[in-house]
Amino acid sequence: MSVWVYGEQKSDLKIEGAIARRIAEDLYEVFIGPQHPGSGHMRIIIRVDGDIIVDADPDMGYVHRTMEKLSEGREWIKNIPLFERMAIHDACNVTVSYVIALERILGIEPPPRARYLRTLLCEINRIAAHLYGFGIFGVFMGHSTMYMWSFADREVMVELAEKLTGARLTHSYPIPGGARRDLPQDFPDQARKAVRYFRRRLEEYRKIFLDNPVMRSRMEGVGVIPKKVAAELGVVGPVARASGIKYDARLAEPYDAYDEVEFEVPVFEEGDALARAWVKFEEIKQSLRIIEQAVDWLEKHQREAPMHPKFWERSPPLWKKVFEAEGRVKLLPLMANLKLPPGKAMARSETARGEIVYYVESDGKTTPYRVRIVSPSARNAIVFKYIVPGYRVMDLPTIYGSIDYFPPEADR
Amino acid sequence: MDVVKLILDIIFYPPIYQLLLIGLVGSLVVVIFILWFERKATARVQRRLGPYHVAPRVAGFPQLVADLVRYAFQEVIIPRTVDAGIFILAPIVATILSILPIAVVPLTSNPGYWPVPMDYSVLVALAISTVSPIFLILAGWASNNKFSIIGGVREAFVITAYELIAILSILAASATVLSFNFVDVVEAQSRIWFIILNPLAFLAAFLAVLMATSGFPFEIPESENEVVAGPFTEYSGLLYGLNMGAAYMKRFALSILMALAFLGGWAPYTPGEGILSGYLIPSIIVIAKATVLMMAFSFTRSVYGRFRLDQALDGAWRLVFPMAILGFGLALLEAYLGVV
Repeated sequence: MSVWVYGEQKSDLKIEGAIARRIAEDLYEVFIGPQHPGSGHMRIIIRVDGDIIVDADPDMGYVHRTMEKLSEGREWIKNIPLFERMAIHDACNVTVSYVIALERILGIEPPPRARYLRTLLCEINRIAAHLYGFGIFGVFMGHSTMYMWSFADREVMVELAEKLTGARLTHSYPIPGGARRDLPQDFPDQARKAVRYFRRRLEEYRKIFLDNPVMRSRMEGVGVIPKKVAAELGVVGPVARASGIKYDARLAEPYDAYDEVEFEVPVFEEGDALARAWVKFEEIKQSLRIIEQAVDWLEKHQREAPMHPKFWERSPPLWKKVFEAEGRVKLLPLMANLKLPPGKAMARSETARGEIVYYVESDGKTTPYRVRIVSPSARNAIVFKYIVPGYRVMDLPTIYGSIDYFPPEADR
Repeated sequence: MDVVKLILDIIFYPPIYQLLLIGLVGSLVVVIFILWFERKATARVQRRLGPYHVAPRVAGFPQLVADLVRYAFQEVIIPRTVDAGIFILAPIVATILSILPIAVVPLTSNPGYWPVPMDYSVLVALAISTVSPIFLILAGWASNNKFSIIGGVREAFVITAYELIAILSILAASATVLSFNFVDVVEAQSRIWFIILNPLAFLAAFLAVLMATSGFPFEIPESENEVVAGPFTEYSGLLYGLNMGAAYMKRFALSILMALAFLGGWAPYTPGEGILSGYLIPSIIVIAKATVLMMAFSFTRSVYGRFRLDQALDGAWRLVFPMAILGFGLALLEAYLGVV
């Protein structure tokens, strides 16, 4: 049914200064968003019967930035900082599959060291993004301590990322054929310290949030997505894994170093908000494991140029001199005018919120012919339409927070 | 000397003293302290600093004064679609009614310093405390905003459930001594406080006051993420500040009632003659006890999240209400056995 009508309003209720329209008996239409503390950059139009939501309609697109079209006018390398803007706290995960697609067109594979460096940053980003999600989830349910804790602890991961890449959020770290920089000397110790800190903190998170009786009663049995429905709706990421679907792009199509490191993909069967929170919680633990392994590997192996030889051979002498003296690498100048051979490629990666898919088409120029992005939040937004009805008004923020919907990523 | 005595007499004339000094000034100071404590304690749990920039030497204590000044100078916007008269009056009346119960309770056993005759003070104070929610619901209704109306309805639900429990459990104290006189209730606690004699009623009253006054994690009627600011969505400036202040003032008034009914009032101290011994010290003891209660209320915000409306009502009728009834029964049993 159509939800709102612009232009001619058929008003049968006369209230001065207001446009009123009768929708149905005993129904109350509430527009949650876009200027609403509980909506984010989107609008959810709900109709309530008493306290029960009977119809919910997500209205997305408030932060649409035409990324796919913008990318057609930019050089290949400049699209990386553009696509990062989808989810700046998850920058590496979001862009790594674009870079992989470019590498497939170029027909190159990054050296192992670069693959581990990317994996390391991906997992750092995943933890930061999950903590961001936890914070929003907590404050949506009035739990301010979870909000403050996770935003404060996210800082640890953000600083690790800064140490590694030089930027707190928009790292632009993976580039075709490798990674932009190598590890600083004191990074492994700091990373291990952060991992130890997080292992301790996660226990406290569990006590104050996941096992808090009040919060449990808010999350248990709310927003249940059965396995079959989850498959039909095509949800991805932690939402799918909380419903018992063991799907993870890192398993389905291993990229970077994911086929060499050991990790588990946590899967829960319940499919409710609590299970989704637990999936994220367990994923943080797995990410910590991967960070440890990646750091160990990087420390053990000798520093080689973290770039594909094809590019490294053509780097200016100064670059090679600095690398030999200090082990530092900067972005190669030839990247600015990189030309890709004509071709098509598709790549996927697992971001914190689910699988992101890039389809890249090149016609041999310095700019893409077409880039198509399917982001995880766009695929998970369907939950609002089909899962929210039947729950109470106060459950809406719970479901919203638990699927960790992120409008800038969905709208692109 | 006569002039000084005259001024002191006017200030310490019981009705004036109680309404102005304890009622308005006292509650303002306590509310400023409690808000500061709440923010500092929560900040401590959440590993941040809390208010700091307004007067760092006293750890940001006057932050709320700065906030109040800001509210006072903000533009008060009255939308075209609201019912302006009720819209403006409702928060003012609600604030006044929130603080009014203090005017009818004794803060000393010295009859010379009672603001009103105390024979039915328990009943009158509780009766006055129940009026203010009506004006919050009216504020929501007059706002003509969907979130306000939802918030007002939620307020009605929560108040119906929890205020009844608060009244019932505070009345348990009065049942123990078989008297509606607050002075009798307090005097009976000179040996042993009713919090020990009747913990059920105290616990029920604590939970009920916590939920009924809508402090942060339990502000179901005005929870930000669902209904923006509930009944106060359309309010701005000083009127919004009044709405926020009314909740805390009501919590203060109910805390004073609880301090008198369960925590022994001025108990360890026996009021004597004269203003200092007969009025000032006992009233400060009562306020201090009420403040401790409010600090306990405030601390819950850093541990718990918000209940869902149906869970809150379910808990009220299924758990806290029977608890209050049991507490009342216990009080009657104690009265029958003559424990006090």
